[in-house]
Amino acid sequence: MNADSAPGTGGIYAPLAAAGQALTRWGKRTVHDVGAGLLIALVIEIAVFWILSPNFFTFSNWTVGIGRGMVVIGLMAIGETIVIISGGFDLSVGSVSAAGAITAAALSNSGVPFPVAILGALALGLAIGTFNGAVTGYGRINPLITTLGTLSIVRGFAHLLTGGREQIIDDRSYLNMGTGTTLGLPNIVWILLACFAVLGFIIPRYRFGRYMYAIGSNDRASRLAGVRVNRWRLVFFGVSGMMAGLAGVVTSFRLGTAAGNFNFGSELAVITAVILGGASLQGGRGRLLGTFLGLVFIQILRNGLVLLSIRSFWQQIAIGSSLIAAVLYDEWRRTKLSRG
Amino acid sequence: MILEIEGIEKSFGPVEVLKGVSLSVDAAQCYGLVGDNGAGKSTVLKILSGVHAPDSGEIRLEDRPVKFQREIDARLAGVEMIFQDLALCEDLDAAANIFLGRERRRGRSRWFSFLDHARMHKEAEEVLESLGSVMPTDRQVQTLSGGERQLVAVARALEFQPKLLLMDEPTAALSVDKVAVLMDLIERLKERGVAVILVSHRFTDLIQVCDNIGVLLHGQIVDEFPVAGQSVDDLTTRMVRQMSGIGMDG
Repeated sequence: MNADSAPGTGGIYAPLAAAGQALTRWGKRTVHDVGAGLLIALVIEIAVFWILSPNFFTFSNWTVGIGRGMVVIGLMAIGETIVIISGGFDLSVGSVSAAGAITAAALSNSGVPFPVAILGALALGLAIGTFNGAVTGYGRINPLITTLGTLSIVRGFAHLLTGGREQIIDDRSYLNMGTGTTLGLPNIVWILLACFAVLGFIIPRYRFGRYMYAIGSNDRASRLAGVRVNRWRLVFFGVSGMMAGLAGVVTSFRLGTAAGNFNFGSELAVITAVILGGASLQGGRGRLLGTFLGLVFIQILRNGLVLLSIRSFWQQIAIGSSLIAAVLYDEWRRTKLSRG
Repeated sequence: MILEIEGIEKSFGPVEVLKGVSLSVDAAQCYGLVGDNGAGKSTVLKILSGVHAPDSGEIRLEDRPVKFQREIDARLAGVEMIFQDLALCEDLDAAANIFLGRERRRGRSRWFSFLDHARMHKEAEEVLESLGSVMPTDRQVQTLSGGERQLVAVARALEFQPKLLLMDEPTAALSVDKVAVLMDLIERLKERGVAVILVSHRFTDLIQVCDNIGVLLHGQIVDEFPVAGQSVDDLTTRMVRQMSGIGMDG
């Protein structure tokens, strides 16, 4: 706003100064929303693993070890971020991903081209997500209960329909999608980045993003303002279901099979990434970029501990501890800031 | 008359909250509604703003009968309401709150047009300025003071050029000097030709800005009188006696 009134920044440097100020504002807002705790932890984490492991800072470790490792959780976390910011909660993502994988595998094995099989998985995810949104919104059921229910129902059907067995996928072109690389990055990492980019583009520019924050912040005020709150809930939960369906497809890419136990318990890692990224369980607060950084943090931690040959049980302990530490730090900082 | 309501009745289950309320407000006038807790003041406002539908009775806006099914119907008809708790989204900035539900967008497409942030901030700044306030419109509402939040709520109502503005206890959360600012604001709204219905516990506020005052008791208007030409003491006594059901003869 005051870019041109700042002293000593006239002439040709004015646009540069304005851009610099815009960047600074963006940076401040990001640190505020994401929380400095996560950013500091991320820097420390990278430094520690860099020093301790010679294999950590290599191209293949970043693209495959870290990049590919975060795709499945990441796709689910994108949808979860949207639901949590809008004041909801989605526990069903892991189950929906299994259902998505099975659907895609069944469609593919029945002879349809692989893009159709993938769309089928997305459609199923969308349908389950929309159901979650309808029960939560129109049925006025706490989303924790709604999605705890669908977590169980969908997982049950997934086991039932596969008879507890793995479905082996025959279509080579389907599987090549998952194993191939483009420009040095695994294809599935591109899928994750594309999803982040698309939603990152949409959220600040469309009513979708505006209402996501508004409803999460104060759903009554949004309703009074004429926002069709329950309809938008269908959209938010629907997107989450769809992302979970896609996560299931990606899981089946990697394993070449689909099974009812896919991504069992993964919802906890998903929620951890979202909360680490600064989203508030009360709704109204959070950033997609934060979720991305939360994911990177978790995956680097897992990857680094593996590189250092530390027993995998320590991963869980480290992730849980960093979650509590990051949230505690931000809470402390927030109260300190609000006291002036 | 901007607004006339006649014989409005409303029950919630077995509880009869309004038993035939009638009143009218003209353009550029302020109608004060007083009454004890539970007298039905808020219900009257909620019916006028489309939150509740009346069981019976008629609402006429500029001589045309209207029926509000939901809040947005009232808004589209030119009735804005400022709720007691202001009904703002704490995590959104001032401009986003002012335009919530009616975002300015670029392009005509219903689904694919972008939000026009620049225009919303500019118009938000203008409407706040017209209320005599300079406030950064990109600050989150939760960081604003009580008076500033009130201004955002009023700006939000004004941006859509209402014919009738309903205010429920607008001074409840304000410090004394901010109350004066708000009273000044109501005067300015009247100058613009807006009709105002003000619900308040504070007699001094009502006497200061209202043209007519109605006293609500057990869901009925038991007394209605003009403010002009009467002393503050007389008016206060009259309101207190009517509110407590003693009447003027007791």
